[in-house]
Amino acid sequence: MVILEVGEFTRVEGNGKAEIVIENREVKEVRVKIVEGPRFFELLTLGRYYWDVPDLEARICAICYLAHSFASVLGIEKAFGVKVPEEIQLLRELGLIGEFLESHALHLYLLVAPDLFGYPDAIRMVSKHGELVKEGLTIKSFGNYIREIIGGREIHGINIKPGGFGRYPTADELEKIEKSCDELLRMAKRAVNIFATQDVFGAVPVYHIATDEYLYGEKLIASDGERFDYLEHIEEKTLPYSFAKQSKYKGEIFMVGALSRLMLKADKLTPMAKELFEQHKEKLSQGYVSLNNLAQAIELVYAIERAKEIVSTLLDRGIKGENVPIEPKEGEGIGYVEAPRGVLIHHYKIDGNGNITYSNIITPTALNHALMELSLYEETKKNYGTLDENSLTHRLEETVRAFDPCISCSVHLVRL
Amino acid sequence: MLKLGVFELTDCGGCALNVLFLYDKLFDLLEFYEIKEFHMASSFKEHGHLDVAIVTGTVSSQRDLEVLKHARNYSNYLIALGTCATHGSVQGAVEGKIRAKLEKVYGTRANPMKALDAKPIVEHVAVDFALPGCPYDKMELYQLLIDIAKGIEPVKKDYPVCIECKLNEYECVLVKKGLPCLGPITLGGCNAVCIRSKLGCIGCRGPLPKEANPTSEFEILKELGYDEEYIRKKFKTFARGELRW
Repeated sequence: MVILEVGEFTRVEGNGKAEIVIENREVKEVRVKIVEGPRFFELLTLGRYYWDVPDLEARICAICYLAHSFASVLGIEKAFGVKVPEEIQLLRELGLIGEFLESHALHLYLLVAPDLFGYPDAIRMVSKHGELVKEGLTIKSFGNYIREIIGGREIHGINIKPGGFGRYPTADELEKIEKSCDELLRMAKRAVNIFATQDVFGAVPVYHIATDEYLYGEKLIASDGERFDYLEHIEEKTLPYSFAKQSKYKGEIFMVGALSRLMLKADKLTPMAKELFEQHKEKLSQGYVSLNNLAQAIELVYAIERAKEIVSTLLDRGIKGENVPIEPKEGEGIGYVEAPRGVLIHHYKIDGNGNITYSNIITPTALNHALMELSLYEETKKNYGTLDENSLTHRLEETVRAFDPCISCSVHLVRL
Repeated sequence: MLKLGVFELTDCGGCALNVLFLYDKLFDLLEFYEIKEFHMASSFKEHGHLDVAIVTGTVSSQRDLEVLKHARNYSNYLIALGTCATHGSVQGAVEGKIRAKLEKVYGTRANPMKALDAKPIVEHVAVDFALPGCPYDKMELYQLLIDIAKGIEPVKKDYPVCIECKLNEYECVLVKKGLPCLGPITLGGCNAVCIRSKLGCIGCRGPLPKEANPTSEFEILKELGYDEEYIRKKFKTFARGELRW
């Protein structure tokens, strides 16, 4: 028996590795091991006053802190039966768009692009492909600018609150977004062309799952037409070799993320993003996880177009900046948000004093964990014996990277 | 060229990510530093002696401890970066012993991955510089790395968040709005970012060393009507047990 070790994975967020068991030259088993220490966020939030919880949850992950604050706020508002007006909804959506731009740009330009061009990292790409790296950083800093004005700061802002915001953005700040959009759109379209050339690899999921609206929602939807709450069809199990859990949908392996969103919700895309989707639909429909990279590039276009729509709507109307008052009462609520890398679930029960009594968080990386193992299994099977060990390891790392995994997020995912 | 390594222990990834958020300034740093290891950003890795090791996160597993010891043993300067590394931050504030926590969350007391109770790295090894913040102010890191490269003694911040709040002429949310604001007992350097959002400081840069007066802050919050357990949790969130009152 040979055990092939891959890892720790580089150019991903957090610490993880893979173990591949080979017997008589046949691939027997793949284990994705999340070696990052457990972080126990559900325990941290228990007994806490609801108002402080979104700020704590933000700390689960820096790349997608705003998605965590947002999902947390949605879960809390649902528990109290609070509905926020359209202005607040649009501003939150804008914040999430900023996060998509920051996160997708990081992933595509700094983490994946070095594979396409044959470099160990983006910094070493600069001498020959400086323009491309610069474009990636431009989109990323634009996304961070949005996160700063909506979320409060680039990382771990506390501005997203149950019932509204601490501070509302000014017209000047929003105009600055509007002015940048056209130039950024040109860059994002170039990214689509680049990532459309990447080979396909990884496994094909049985189902795709996403939230019912493009960036967040009331329920989850799946590619078999089901509209559901997560407890109805998603089952989690713990593993002896990892601090992340694994999930199945109706007993089958599924995927969440950019590719799943496009496959399930292409009708909700903005005009240019829809056109690009149609153009690459045939390729995307093959369903290999590596196509998640191309799907993210198309989402860059979507995010920029949508940011422009939202900002012009808000500027036309003017910002009122009124929060919805909240009276704590006993309740239960689930927030479903699309983090850049897929469905994120925050589920709370709250007592009459406004303190959290139950909390469950499931992150996209945990939802994709089983598909990640299957993808590595299939890639190893296809390439073991034909590729040398270095090339095989490289291909496996690329496969993991296509999920845009967020390992920090995935290590504390449980029902209490 | 100085040799630099960035090592991530258990955390949210933000402290390593924030290095990339230096954008153009990162390229300025590369005039002085050669990155030998930085696994979030690069597949390049050269195990060997380093001039500067940046370590982020808490020690939460045996693996973390080994990485930390490696970083310490092979570097001249070690920077504990971010509140996880300097004070334990939110994951360090989770109460209980590791086996009990594992049982509650994973349904088993077994610990095959060798998890440890989360502790800041300063409790395990001596560090040369400690920059707190959740996340830290990226310009502060830039300045520190430039100072090290040029052999200048870095200037340490030693004032509370309130100073920067006043300089920005923000309205005091503690006095005027009665919000629980930890600004008076928290180390400044964030430019009073939470108060900019018209909200109270949550204490993410850890307690102000020496001069902080948590007892008085505790009394003020009690007078405002916050219950003791609430205040205790608030004090503890980023600083584990460091704030005494």
